[in-house]
Amino acid sequence: MIFGKYINRYYLRYLHLILLGAAALVVVDYAQLLIPDYQGSIVDSLIEGNLSMDYLRHVMLRFLMIAAAMFIGRFAWRVTIFGTGVRVEADLRDRLFVHSEKLSQTYFHKNKVGAQMALYTNDLNAIRETFGMGILTLVDALFLGSLALYYMFRINVMLTLLLSIPMFLMALAGGIIGKFMRVKFQERQKAFENLSDFTQENFSGLSVIKAFVKEGKELLSFRKINKDNAEKNVIFLRYANLLYVVILVTINLIGFILIGIGSYLIIKTNTTNPEIGFSVGDLTRFVSYFSSLVWPMMAISQLINIRSQGKASYKRIKALLDEPIDIVDNNPVQVKVLRGEITYRNLNFAYPGTDSLVLKDINLEIKPGESVGIIGRTGCGKTTLVDLLLRLYNLEENTLFIDGIDIMRLPIKQVRDLFGYVPQDNFLFSDTIHNNIAFAHESMPEEEVKHYAALADVAGNIEEFTHQYQTVLGERGVTVSGGQKQRISIARALAKDPKVLILDDSISAVDSKTEETILANLQEFKKDRTIILIAHRVSSIQNLDKIVFMDNGRILGVGTHEELLANIKLYQDLVDLQKLEEQVEVAEGDAHE
Amino acid sequence: MSKKEKTTKKKKIVEMTETEQNERKMSDGVITKRLLKYLMPYIWYFVLALVLMIFAIFGDIILPVLLGGAIDLLQTPDASLTKIIILMIVALMITLIYAVTEYSQTMILQKTGQKILMQIREDVFWKIENFSTAQVNQNPIGRLVTRVTNDTNALNDLYTKVFVNLIRNVFTILFIIVIMLVVDVKMALITLSLMPLVGLSSFFFHRYSRKAHRRVRHSVSRLNAFLSENLSGMKITQVFNQEKKKHNEFRERNNEWKNSSLRSILLFAIFRPSIYVLFILTSMLVLYFSSKQIVDSNYTIKVSTLVIFYNYAGMLFNPIQQLAESFNALQAGFASSERIFEILDYPDDIVDNPDAIELEEIKGDIEFQHVWFSYEPNEWILKDVSFKVNTKETVAFVGATGSGKTTILSLIVRNYDIQKGRILIDGIDIKKIKLSSLRSKIGQMLQDVFLFSGTIASNISLNDETVTMDEIKQACEYVNASKFIEKLPNQYEEEVRERGNNFSSGQRQLLSFARTILHKPSILILDEATANIDTETEVLIQDSLKKMMNIGTMLIVAHRLSTIQHADKIYVLRLGKIIESGTHQELIAKGGHYKELYELQSQKQKMQIPKNNNHH
Repeated sequence: MIFGKYINRYYLRYLHLILLGAAALVVVDYAQLLIPDYQGSIVDSLIEGNLSMDYLRHVMLRFLMIAAAMFIGRFAWRVTIFGTGVRVEADLRDRLFVHSEKLSQTYFHKNKVGAQMALYTNDLNAIRETFGMGILTLVDALFLGSLALYYMFRINVMLTLLLSIPMFLMALAGGIIGKFMRVKFQERQKAFENLSDFTQENFSGLSVIKAFVKEGKELLSFRKINKDNAEKNVIFLRYANLLYVVILVTINLIGFILIGIGSYLIIKTNTTNPEIGFSVGDLTRFVSYFSSLVWPMMAISQLINIRSQGKASYKRIKALLDEPIDIVDNNPVQVKVLRGEITYRNLNFAYPGTDSLVLKDINLEIKPGESVGIIGRTGCGKTTLVDLLLRLYNLEENTLFIDGIDIMRLPIKQVRDLFGYVPQDNFLFSDTIHNNIAFAHESMPEEEVKHYAALADVAGNIEEFTHQYQTVLGERGVTVSGGQKQRISIARALAKDPKVLILDDSISAVDSKTEETILANLQEFKKDRTIILIAHRVSSIQNLDKIVFMDNGRILGVGTHEELLANIKLYQDLVDLQKLEEQVEVAEGDAHE
Repeated sequence: MSKKEKTTKKKKIVEMTETEQNERKMSDGVITKRLLKYLMPYIWYFVLALVLMIFAIFGDIILPVLLGGAIDLLQTPDASLTKIIILMIVALMITLIYAVTEYSQTMILQKTGQKILMQIREDVFWKIENFSTAQVNQNPIGRLVTRVTNDTNALNDLYTKVFVNLIRNVFTILFIIVIMLVVDVKMALITLSLMPLVGLSSFFFHRYSRKAHRRVRHSVSRLNAFLSENLSGMKITQVFNQEKKKHNEFRERNNEWKNSSLRSILLFAIFRPSIYVLFILTSMLVLYFSSKQIVDSNYTIKVSTLVIFYNYAGMLFNPIQQLAESFNALQAGFASSERIFEILDYPDDIVDNPDAIELEEIKGDIEFQHVWFSYEPNEWILKDVSFKVNTKETVAFVGATGSGKTTILSLIVRNYDIQKGRILIDGIDIKKIKLSSLRSKIGQMLQDVFLFSGTIASNISLNDETVTMDEIKQACEYVNASKFIEKLPNQYEEEVRERGNNFSSGQRQLLSFARTILHKPSILILDEATANIDTETEVLIQDSLKKMMNIGTMLIVAHRLSTIQHADKIYVLRLGKIIESGTHQELIAKGGHYKELYELQSQKQKMQIPKNNNHH
């Protein structure tokens, strides 16, 4: 069993299933424990020599009824209890995803995808197992256990008490060894992960290894890891084996004790003390009751293991679900349409949870319809500057305005609708090209998708694919080049038909001719739209209306290329540095004339 | 288009050849034979384990006989406690022996299994480690890794679980049957009457449940693929306001998982109770017929018969079910074995000739004599290429994508063998030089710089303990890498994450330079990166390149004008042929293909401008 504020509701929601399952379990347990008694009485009658065939037939009929009840009961509890576990897992997973969708980039930066995935897979799994196993074991242990014990007590109190000592010891040993096993299991997993990681990396870098003739050295490293893996395996298996043997031996031992003491009691009953009333049938009953106790006992020690995993998993899942949603509408002002006039006013920005300012004292105005270039060295804050527009982070009040309204007071959805965004990493979904381009408008007709693909100069490439716009990208589909990805990503942003288009260093992987076409198309597409273009090279932006030159989180200057060139030393340096490379070309140009 | 698109095309071809084969090509016999070969060195351990196992099985099945014995004893008139106690002491001793044999046989098996596993794993690893470039390219890395890790694990299961359980279950069943037959033949047959049904239904159930299980696994992997993609791309979903749509897509997959899981539960919910019903039916048969027998015989037959049969009937269920299951497990294990053997059966592609020689020193003369080369039969990449590079010269190869320039570099280090012609180093055919000797004299700087996770220092020394930190620092100093390294918090001990993701492509390039010169090559080959590198690092790289040209003979596939300019000689390639050669000035003056390429190149470097066509 596992409890917690995100789980308790399921006990209520699925109460009918859980109760049904529990009832089925009780029926199964009850029916199961009827068998030893019938068997015992037959044995007794046989020994006393007075078994009637009528009674035998009566018992057979009962057996059939028991079989039917057991079938239905077992079917019912499996379907209800395990089924509930599956439903709980699915629902929790859905909740996790919905919550994740609302979390800000701060969370996603802090938590690696691998770690998040573990929540969705291993942790949810552990919770489901704890949930299902928990109910099952609880009912079984409580009902089957106490009923069997009760029957045993009824036959002979002393013998039952005597047996409970080794049983208790067995459960204890199981618990202790199980704990060791868990630790060793983790060590074994770790060793296997090491082996996998090493092999993965080694094969990925095989060209380097060959180039430097390090195959032999790598084999030695591999051998070490391989050996460690084998050793960790043997250690784990030793504990598993030990547990198995301890349990089997204890069961046999208990069996012998039972037979020994039982026989003693039978002899006593038959000779000196008939009031003990212990028959051969009682002995067989006892053996059967005892064997039906083995499973709930094992299950309890197993549950203790699973439960501690489940609890740890629940803690992690709770941490995600408790993660506050920090980017929310807060009494937003109602606006019909946003035009896209952008004003940064004395804006400072540090990523949440950090102290160092990545943007300092930013003042900038971008009017609707302007073409603005942003340039500066890697890490100067270009990307952050545009990310703020998308309301990916919360800002201090009165530092960033759209159409004169504080961005913090605008509805988030409306703000994001304003922008067409082409990210630096050209992230695409493994879906069809059509769906990727029409990402913002699901029902966009093919014609329109084609139009935007053409604008991004990728239509030609797409039409070369066998399935054209229905080509599935990514893992199992066709792999496309970085340049094609960038252009599909541009088409996706254009297809949103945004008022403001943001390109974050988005045309670096295409050749110059394509770049030229795209930029020309953009000019045509632009009309009264705003374009914000982040670039690495001055040449990419030098003809735009306005260039924002950034360094170290500050805007050092805003103006045309010529203005910046005339006024800002660092900008001149940047231009000179980039020209250096082209010197050859200049020299060649002279020779040409 | 770009180089990337070329690799894309290559991948597609590979994917077509690697469609998963469901049909096994090797026969069970062949696979078993090869598996036995690995087992042979440890055969006596296995024999010992099997002998011990037979003792252990006795321990497993002793209880009903003892119970029966006790009951018989109790029915005799001279039933005494002493006899019972003796019986129990014997039983106790048997149990202790059983515990020891059970424990030791399992451990012997497992330890031996691990040894075999280690050996196979090492064999597979070493085989792949020595794959030729072509062989590596034929297989996705993930698949090769799986061969070393998971498939070998499945093989281990085969040795330690599947085979052994098969034997154990067969013996257990046999022993129980023998005991039953000894006690009472008729009752034995009655008890066994339903067992074939148990076996058959288990067998078919496992077939069926595997399918259900596969469906669950499939839905899990679909769900995980979706999650890992969408968790990393959440920014895009949020920026495009598409949370709802993505949630719907997620829900669809989540439901698919839920339904397949529920189905699988349903399947088990039918099968498990069915087996239980068979169990009760068997119990009924035993109870009814042995009781009837006893009654009919007028109570001359012993009651212990009933107890023994009743208990053994229950004991037969597990091994029979497991036996049925193990046939399926065997199939899975054989499939893994076949995949491993397929790797081990790859022909040795590029290996030392028997008469290959060790080269102590290389001066650095390189000569191509009428070299013809193709990756695919009859699709010639290089056609009759001849050139000669003298010691310490720097040569640049230029040409469009697909002209064969990168291929030339990979032929010098024998990543591939040529079909016609000869490649000579210091006048010796490279096929006559030991691979290790050849490659260790040639410093290769590849286009995509691969960094291993570890530290900067470990990436430069490539884990060679004999390299001192001073040497590493010197190398970095020499190639201008020390500047950025010394700014890092941990300097040379700075962590390099998987694939060096925490370093820019320019920085990675500098690190690869340092790595190369540290290993003191006489010949350097460089496939220049095409990626955008920030201007400052670019200057450092160019400066460092100039220095390296003095170390030895240098061959560069060049993309940058300044690099080309510094070469002593330029070879222009087109469709696998050298069409022009000379110095930069000579070639420009000549006004041929080079000049065209050159102009395109210059334009690319200048262009990246929205509407700049203002060439004066």
